[in-house]
Amino acid sequence: MNGKLVLALPSKGRLMEQCTAALAAAGLGIVRTGPARGYKGEIEGWPGVEVNFVSSSEIAQLLRTGAAHLGVTGEDLVRETMADADERVRFLGGLGFGQADVVVAVPACWLDVRRMADLEEMSLLFRRLHGRRVRVATKYMNLTRRYFAQAGVTGYRIVESLGATEGAPAAGLAELIVDITTTGATLTANGLRILDDGVILESQANLVASRVAPWSPELAAIEAQISARFTGA
Amino acid sequence: MSTAATTADIEALEAQARGLMATFTRAGYERVEPAVIQPAALFLDVIGEELRARTYVFTDPDGAELCLRPDLTVPTCRLHLERHPAGDVPARYCYSAPAFRYQAAGADRAHPREFRQAGIESFAAADREADDAGVLALTVEALRRAGLGRIEIRIGDLGLFAALIEALPMPERWRARLKHQFWRPDAFRAELQRLTSADALARGLPHDLVGRLDPADPAGAEAAVLGHLDKTGCELIGTRTAAEIALRLVDAAADLREKPLRAETAALIESYVAVKAPARETRDGLARLARGQGVDLSAGLDAFQRRLDRIEAAGIGIAGAEFSAEFGRNLEYYTGFVFEVIAPALGPRSPVAGGGRYDGLLAEVGAPGPVPAVGASIHTERLLAALQDAGQEAAP
Repeated sequence: MNGKLVLALPSKGRLMEQCTAALAAAGLGIVRTGPARGYKGEIEGWPGVEVNFVSSSEIAQLLRTGAAHLGVTGEDLVRETMADADERVRFLGGLGFGQADVVVAVPACWLDVRRMADLEEMSLLFRRLHGRRVRVATKYMNLTRRYFAQAGVTGYRIVESLGATEGAPAAGLAELIVDITTTGATLTANGLRILDDGVILESQANLVASRVAPWSPELAAIEAQISARFTGA
Repeated sequence: MSTAATTADIEALEAQARGLMATFTRAGYERVEPAVIQPAALFLDVIGEELRARTYVFTDPDGAELCLRPDLTVPTCRLHLERHPAGDVPARYCYSAPAFRYQAAGADRAHPREFRQAGIESFAAADREADDAGVLALTVEALRRAGLGRIEIRIGDLGLFAALIEALPMPERWRARLKHQFWRPDAFRAELQRLTSADALARGLPHDLVGRLDPADPAGAEAAVLGHLDKTGCELIGTRTAAEIALRLVDAAADLREKPLRAETAALIESYVAVKAPARETRDGLARLARGQGVDLSAGLDAFQRRLDRIEAAGIGIAGAEFSAEFGRNLEYYTGFVFEVIAPALGPRSPVAGGGRYDGLLAEVGAPGPVPAVGASIHTERLLAALQDAGQEAAP
């Protein structure tokens, strides 16, 4: 690093647009530098800051390793990427976009399963009848493991799903899912229902600071100024 | 923090392993070398998601899902079943081989990601208590011969919990539920509380449907479930059938017709789970606790005492060992006697050896029915560390 504060932002899509707008509203004008579609940028009037545009799942990784000081990304991705999130990063505040709940959803026809505890008991009978564990399709393997362990649910197996997770139960690829939802409409359309105690995390885009990045007093001062623009402190 | 063992460490580990294996084979255990690479699906179905998260899983060029074994017990069960598909032929195996586990908090000397397990497994022996005692005694003998002086032993007995639940008045399916949830202390307490309250038992159910279900008529229940789904415009999707869903709702309907569990019964179960006592006081203490509620636990307690006597007879000072009723709660496949050996140099968080009875595992791996099984394994890196820390010399 060149002694600058590294700020990692989403490189494309709706998240990038909302992020740029949120920063602009806070008085931070982001400009891309170098080649037209460059992945580098800066904040106008903040020479001590270097902006890196990367894919949103990578932002959590950069914060985890300390390769970025600050980043804008979803709390879901941060908590999925690191088991010890609160030791590695600080959440400086929600930005009011990218809202999504990470939820446990089962087929709505499972009249006998309303709560996580029902899931464990149902999985016993399932295993006896089908000779294997109930499968949970998800891309949130770590969040799922942690939440299920907390709820005392152990009789399951995770199958990794990288897209169209909500279709997995109907397609016979898994019995239930853990996925993000905003309005719940996609889940309903796929014949799924969220368990009564099935909300794992209410996530939104966050300004996140890495605790393990190389901080100097100068960079900490810049961070405090940026973060004050959002928290109004 | 280095995770790589030095050449001297590797040589010391190998010398130590030779000694452990000599003790095991002299006692009549056959040395086996189960495969390092195991089929992921079968293995992971047996060990559950928690150990799965620590298992190195990979896909080979054909697309087959494989794993590096996270322990030696399941591979040894598979090896036994290859030789004896019914599993019921008595056999004793020992091994000294690496196992692999991801260490989320980072690997260190007491928690390496590649570690050598030296262990023994005894299958299909007729006298369970004698076999339990034999496995513990041989484990301790092997540790002593390796040079480990002071040890502490912790024991538990999941069979006693099962015996207590059997002796208390409640429907069989409630017993099954409590035994199953025993492994998860919070969920266990929640279920126990739920069973004492009629309101809690009814919560969340589709009442108009459940009220009409007749436990004696499963076919009618399936039709009622299909009718209810149809009426509410809910499509039946996925792998579970209406009959499966009906089976569980019929159970719920039957639960509502039962008298909830008496508060005293729930309290007795709670106080049993909290028992911690020196091994020699366990039988009388538990008998008193049970008798206060008019419950006779003598069969289970006599077996417990017989096992202790056997262990004493083998020259292991077990009287002062700590018995904990909930010890074994974090090791799901155990079904009876469980134990851990602790070296004071490493402390209780890193036991040098542990084992117990797991009568259900062979059936899970493919045997047609339950097969008596008891085993133990020594964490050899920890043993070496304990010996080095204590500055003890290996016995000549």
